[in-house]
Amino acid sequence: MSIQEELQAVIKEALPDVSCVIGWREGPEPLRAAPLFVRTPADADAFRSGYFAVNNPAVFLPEYKGGKVGVVVKGCDARSVGQLLAEGLIRREEVKVIGFPCNGVIDVDKVAVALAGACDPGEIQAAREEGDELVLTTPSGEIRLRKTAVTADKCGRCLFPNALDADVFVGDTLEPAVSADDYADVAAFEALSLEKRMDFWEQEMSRCVRCYACRNACPMCVCREHCVALSRDPRWLTQSDGVRDKMFFQIIHASHLAGRCTGCGECQRACPARIPVLLLKRALSRRVEDLFAYRAGVDVAGPPPLLSFALEEPKIKERDW
Amino acid sequence: MSEQKIVSRKFISLGYLPAWLEELALGRTVYVPRQEGRTVLYRPFVPGDLPEFSRRPAESAKHVLFPRSEGLFSFCRKGDPGAPDTRGLLLSESAEPGQAVIFGALSCDARGFFAFDPVYDGCGTKGIAKDVYYLKRRENTALIVKACKTPLSTCFCHWTGGGPASAQGADALATDLDGGILLQAVTKKGAALLESAKLSPATDDQEASARAAHEAAVKAMPSSPSLDGAPEALLGLFDNKAFWHAQSAGCLSCGACTYLCPTCYCFNLTDESNGIAGTRLRTWDTCMSALFTMEASGHNPRRDKAARLKNRVGHKFSYYPRIHDGRFSCCGCGRCIRSCPSSVDIRQIVLNALKENADV
Amino acid sequence: MSVLKGQELRIIGFLCNWCSYGGADTAGIGRFVQPTDLRVVRVPCSGRINPLFIMKALLYGADGVLVSGCHPRDCHYAEGNFYARRRLEVIKALLPALGIDPRRFEYTWVSASEGRRWQHVVESFTMQIHDLGPARRLPDAPELDVLKMVAAE
Repeated sequence: MSIQEELQAVIKEALPDVSCVIGWREGPEPLRAAPLFVRTPADADAFRSGYFAVNNPAVFLPEYKGGKVGVVVKGCDARSVGQLLAEGLIRREEVKVIGFPCNGVIDVDKVAVALAGACDPGEIQAAREEGDELVLTTPSGEIRLRKTAVTADKCGRCLFPNALDADVFVGDTLEPAVSADDYADVAAFEALSLEKRMDFWEQEMSRCVRCYACRNACPMCVCREHCVALSRDPRWLTQSDGVRDKMFFQIIHASHLAGRCTGCGECQRACPARIPVLLLKRALSRRVEDLFAYRAGVDVAGPPPLLSFALEEPKIKERDW
Repeated sequence: MSEQKIVSRKFISLGYLPAWLEELALGRTVYVPRQEGRTVLYRPFVPGDLPEFSRRPAESAKHVLFPRSEGLFSFCRKGDPGAPDTRGLLLSESAEPGQAVIFGALSCDARGFFAFDPVYDGCGTKGIAKDVYYLKRRENTALIVKACKTPLSTCFCHWTGGGPASAQGADALATDLDGGILLQAVTKKGAALLESAKLSPATDDQEASARAAHEAAVKAMPSSPSLDGAPEALLGLFDNKAFWHAQSAGCLSCGACTYLCPTCYCFNLTDESNGIAGTRLRTWDTCMSALFTMEASGHNPRRDKAARLKNRVGHKFSYYPRIHDGRFSCCGCGRCIRSCPSSVDIRQIVLNALKENADV
Repeated sequence: MSVLKGQELRIIGFLCNWCSYGGADTAGIGRFVQPTDLRVVRVPCSGRINPLFIMKALLYGADGVLVSGCHPRDCHYAEGNFYARRRLEVIKALLPALGIDPRRFEYTWVSASEGRRWQHVVESFTMQIHDLGPARRLPDAPELDVLKMVAAE
């Protein structure tokens, strides 16, 4: 029995206890799965896991607070569940966590790059995996891509491919491909001159349409309708189309995720303008890891670092003057 | 090709395209699809750059006629030292929009403006309240659409009365042929653009091969279901909370769908001021936001994401067609599906509504 | 008038009411001459300082931001500055990722009796900002130009 079939069986078993189980189904495009809400055993047949199941189902959990709900999670999704639990935003007894070992997921943007203009990724009619290759059916015939070239960056640095703290774990655990997150992406960006870095953001943020998909796709952004970005008094942001306000919103998002971001990358994936907004959050995650040896969604015993303090901070060197 | 009458026709070989676009850009802003980062957007043409046609733009061209945020006027309170008790209010209008051309938009983009037009031309007030800001830009902007050859998996323009080579709402239609592009103007504005020495006369043969290409593009699209009953079906489900709850389960309440949509025309008015002076801004609104139709009392008739999604689908496929001769205010571009982080599929919701209604 | 030569820059200081604001007062009473680039905002406690205050100031017109609170273990509210210390240290890491020189923001501790120290802090930080020069700003929205025009008048 494949992992997907095993998961379907587990979901059906879980159903009597929960109002629904959140997972994935085939989406309207072959490369992108969509969220699935299993309410009846028949719904479970539509469940799909695997390479295209990118969405983080943990984003929906706070909505279902007050009743019991099941959720199928990849390793990165499980970290979001863990962090939500650590902050008391959901209750452990109200979620049934179904985990499985994840081999990595697709980055559709990378497919667009790999296709190199051969066709629009939207023209892909079907996709299937063959070993370490992805076979795409396009109007101009079959195209084969190496999966390593189109797998999401976050998977390359994933330390927890097996869902942590799962109630039910299906399949054999996987060894992570790397032993530590080296934050090479942040380091490479910070190797640019300050001028270049600001140029980069000025260019990137000029594409922002202020749809707030980054915020709403973020499982840790739980303020939802009460986000400070929507407030007119105090007015943090104007309603203008300016780069400065758009950048400031990303600063709001990143600073509110300091020590909380699990690096699932949904903010960046959700962005219709393809702005690499995860970078800012990773810059803060690296600092939090350095200072407090804390990784969100993993080291969840005790309060998160920014909700607590120590009398002496061994890693913080204060000003001499 | 649509039923529209062709006013004039020209051919341009690919080598002359940059020179023609440069010529168009004299005294105008020419918007073309451009690659930026990992996406394609409508941006001003930069001499030396070719438009990006290998991928379809993620956004619609609506921001050219309906900016994301535009200053309607600015105001300033000024005291008069001679009359200390009075304070004058100085108002200044924003500058007139300039001339623009959108080259290489999709047919669905043009049909989006087709949905805008009656609304901003005062249809609801018998033509009294016209939106001068939109109409001025509409008048100043020429739209050259480029016929699509293959559909994306999210495309459904033919469900909503459009087609891959429709010129409805546009001024001219461009079709890729061997070695060049056939340009067919359908309005006077379009014909004026084609009066350039960079273009050569088109032949009947070229027009015939364009027609064949249009027919092939239509054939390449999967068959379309009938949406005739959609307005009534959606209205019939207006109070069916369970239905809308199920349809909206995956919705994240972000504004990606509405902001990329060629037909979503809702806006918000706000004053951005520093106490003495300020600007009245008109900014895109989105019915997916919790602040949409929020009343001053704090009450919102659309309380949750299910009610808001109902508004988006209902508006496009029921409320708008009921007052606009059955025309949907959806052009089937599929951008809302393609850019939805949760892949919420508006086609499926309409089909589900038809099915649900038939079952009752 | 700045005691430093040349253009005055804009530095925003967020000072806690109980220690640092008192320290600045002590410096004033003692007539300790300081550069005048700093504009002070008094807040109840360094723990009250939302890191976004700092980011907002830096993005919207400040060339430098200085935060000062009670020395650790001396907070009027016992632990406000302990929380602040963590937040401020973390938010500093965002600046290099944005292309803003991290030296444009510093935080320190000054007690109400440390008038001399306050003078030293202001001098050192103002020098540091003058060495960096005026900060680059991201462009504002053209539709808000009128606000700029009125501010300049």
